[in-house]
Amino acid sequence: MNFCFTSIRSFPKLWTSHQYLGLGPGQSSLAHLERYCGLKNQKKWFSCKTVSPQNTKSNNLLTAKARYLRKGDEGNNKQVSSESPHFFAAGSAKKRSQNSHPSKEQALLPSRKSFQVPTKPLTSEQWSKLQADFKGKAKFENWIITQMVRAHSSVDVAKSLLAWVAAENSGIVGYDLLVKYLCLCVFHKQTSEVIDVYEIMKARYKSLESGANTLLIRGLIHSDRWREAVLLLENIKKVMVPSKGNYNDCIQGALLHQDANLAWSLYQELLDYELIPVLDTFKAFFDFGRGMNDDQYAKKLLDILLYLRNNRLYPGESLAHSIKTWFESIPGEQWQGKFTTLQKSGQCLGCGRTIETSQLSSEEYDYLQGKIMKDVIDGGDQYKKTTPQELKRFKNFVKTCPPFDIVIDGLNVAKMFPKTRESQSLLDVVSQLSELNLRLLVLGRKHMLMPSSRWRKDEMERVKKLASCFFADNISEDDPFLLYATLHSGNHCKFVTNDLMRDHKACLPDAKTQSLFFKWQQGHQLAITAKLPGSKVVFQPILSYDTVVQTTGDSWHIPYDDNQVERCSFEVPTKWLCLHRKT
Amino acid sequence: MSVSFTFLRTSARLLAPFILQKKKRTLYSTILQRCISSNTPSVPSPNKESTLPPEELELDKWKITMKSSVQEDDVSAVSGNKEEDPLAATRELIEMWRLLGREVPEVISEEELKTIMECPSKSSKKKYLKYLYIREKAKKAKQIKKEMKAEAMEKARNDRLLETAKEDKQQNFLFLRLWDRHMNIAMGWKGIQAMQFGQPLVFDMAYDNYMKPREMQHTISQLLESEGWNRRNIDPFHIHFCNLKVDGAYHRELVKRYGEKWDKLLLTTTEKSFVDLFPKDSIIYLTADSPNVMTSFKHDKVYIVGSFVDKNIHPGMSLAKAKRLNLATECLPLDKYLQWETGTKNLTLDQMIRILLCLKNTGSWEEALKFVPRRKHTGYMEISHHSQDLINRLKKLKTFNKFPKGSLKSHTQK
Repeated sequence: MNFCFTSIRSFPKLWTSHQYLGLGPGQSSLAHLERYCGLKNQKKWFSCKTVSPQNTKSNNLLTAKARYLRKGDEGNNKQVSSESPHFFAAGSAKKRSQNSHPSKEQALLPSRKSFQVPTKPLTSEQWSKLQADFKGKAKFENWIITQMVRAHSSVDVAKSLLAWVAAENSGIVGYDLLVKYLCLCVFHKQTSEVIDVYEIMKARYKSLESGANTLLIRGLIHSDRWREAVLLLENIKKVMVPSKGNYNDCIQGALLHQDANLAWSLYQELLDYELIPVLDTFKAFFDFGRGMNDDQYAKKLLDILLYLRNNRLYPGESLAHSIKTWFESIPGEQWQGKFTTLQKSGQCLGCGRTIETSQLSSEEYDYLQGKIMKDVIDGGDQYKKTTPQELKRFKNFVKTCPPFDIVIDGLNVAKMFPKTRESQSLLDVVSQLSELNLRLLVLGRKHMLMPSSRWRKDEMERVKKLASCFFADNISEDDPFLLYATLHSGNHCKFVTNDLMRDHKACLPDAKTQSLFFKWQQGHQLAITAKLPGSKVVFQPILSYDTVVQTTGDSWHIPYDDNQVERCSFEVPTKWLCLHRKT
Repeated sequence: MSVSFTFLRTSARLLAPFILQKKKRTLYSTILQRCISSNTPSVPSPNKESTLPPEELELDKWKITMKSSVQEDDVSAVSGNKEEDPLAATRELIEMWRLLGREVPEVISEEELKTIMECPSKSSKKKYLKYLYIREKAKKAKQIKKEMKAEAMEKARNDRLLETAKEDKQQNFLFLRLWDRHMNIAMGWKGIQAMQFGQPLVFDMAYDNYMKPREMQHTISQLLESEGWNRRNIDPFHIHFCNLKVDGAYHRELVKRYGEKWDKLLLTTTEKSFVDLFPKDSIIYLTADSPNVMTSFKHDKVYIVGSFVDKNIHPGMSLAKAKRLNLATECLPLDKYLQWETGTKNLTLDQMIRILLCLKNTGSWEEALKFVPRRKHTGYMEISHHSQDLINRLKKLKTFNKFPKGSLKSHTQK
């Protein structure tokens, strides 16, 4: 409809321009008309997009529709291509969500019409004129400087604005204007200007707030008066905990001026506050240490790597490069770094060494088992997820059975394929696994036993014959039982579900236990990847290695985040930095 | 000269909105164009280059004035700097934030300042400050409104005085004007009736450990409101506050809010559990997590509502409780009747009691679920699944029964 309308509108214009073109009577005007219309329409179409918000909306709708149509094709393609990333591999969650939903990212963001910020310093008269034209809720000078900060306009323009404001208000410039101006100065790295503003602020105000302090710290570290930045940090500390960004700036400043001791003590302070440093902080340390022959310093850098390991942090690509160059620059030790990936067996393609296994040590295992029992299943109130009677029944059941090889989440598996009957798909999975001579346990809820169109009795009987079964109450949660049964059976036992178990992970008390749980989950979860129920069910191969920073003394393997891939919190990077000594 | 200039500017500023209101539409585009055109010429104009050097001098002038004006203030600054009290530092920080236009209150009491200091994280500090800011703003707005109202009242009274002075006419009335009091007395009577013969409705007050002070305050507000709705109803419930520990958090807040009326409230408060007061099989615990859907309001049951505002999302708290005591549970049939859009299915206590009161009096779900906030759903189901099922079943029955019925009739006719 939009189309028609615009084309009609363009008619009168056509006539006038037609005359203007002065076409001869012999030429076919119809062909011209058509071409002209088409062109005009297209132009109109595009201009509409930027002008009115309503049209943008309809456009978005159209693109969304188009995407929707395209989605069908993509879905078909997906079925054909069997190569899919690992369940926990970086970016795979995004891919999965794109399969099921049309991605929202492609949707055009409605571009807000931006005000043209002056590019040259204006005179007072010009500012006054601008102000007269301005209409809005905020004060003119505040609004315009916000726009200038957003557009990163030059410092001189802001200066002329401040001069005008000062002239208006008998030489006083408001604090918020000063802070915004400071923000511009810091952005453009105008150190002298930053120092000027610092002097003014120090003189005018007793104390500063965190925003200005942050900006001042960031601005001052490049100057000779960088030590005052550390004093500002002290000021922040009086009232609240400084941010990791503040610490990062101060550490960068200290390293910039060759004061490594101060940088390390600040780093220690940062850790003491239990803040997690920014990756840039690590990078600064590695960059600074390049080519240095200092054992103490090198040891501290290795401590950083261990910190990354213990907290399961992964460096970004730039930090990985810094780490690599630092290792290669150590005098006397001939390190060689390579960016590689791993084989599925867990062998590094760069050096052929095997990466650490994802098996937990026995203490870790016991600890995790206890925690799952205490926090996930019990959680302070046994009635929340189950009942004490049921828990007792389950514990007795597990005790009387010999250890299982595979524990199956019956409901999750059954609901996997929406087109097949629930009991049928459960039976498929169970019978396929039982052919491998594995001891199976199927967990479910009691309603699965009630014969219905979805749960056929004969199929459930066959499931019961092939595997041991435990059916929880309908209002109980079955996942905690799954976790406990798997953990109880021992390290060899795996579990089948496509549930990522994020809610149960969240029940665990601290990050350390959570990462332990995640490590265990990676090594023991069998996710189903096959889409076609007719064919055999295909499981995601279990990662036999643990994705974490690790060393064998003469080699380091460091997983890192690719810049291109967006990784979810529960996924692990797929790229590795392999470092080893030349022999 | 400069004086006249500023005067001109201010007058222009005054004029601008006036014109705008007159013909907003037509002016809008022209002003916009002017706005843009006023910036662009500053770029290419060639004669600007010559005027730049004097401007350059002007650019740093403000700094000098800023710095120089400072020396006068310095004395006060130094005196304040001596004591390095974290409380004072926090106060200053908040003051600076206010200058920045952040959402912080203007006036902060010592007590509030201490609460801020005790906040464990930066974001919680900011959240609390924002709360104070909003509260302060609301207070101010209320104050202004009050003053305006007082003014209007004053004016009206003066007018009336004039009027009465004019015509001093006697009028005949049947009643003295005592409506509010009479209403209260009538409600009191009804309340007493309910205490004797009313259906019990229990508020379970055993969740004080799971709530933070703010949530507790919200709970109490909702309880107050629920009690008010109940009092005004034709046929009130007999409200029970069960598990109400004397000097517990609930009790303290309730006494604080009700004041001396607390002891005259027409409801039962007890430290006992509802399990001790009523037979177990007549109790139905209402919770949104329940798998059982409430189909109709039963007049012989005791419904229990957990007085619990849960902002922290403890899922299944009340269901766990009902499970522990082995009670029947039910939830409102929200999905059956409403097209749910957003929000949790947990309703506030006052909404809950209004729904229950409406159900008790009319028995109609459509009527009762009007009290569900409109923002949470898009409308009622066209034909609810329930009734559609019923219709289908009836249809089936009819087709089955047709034949035998007809044959019967024919038999009797013969």
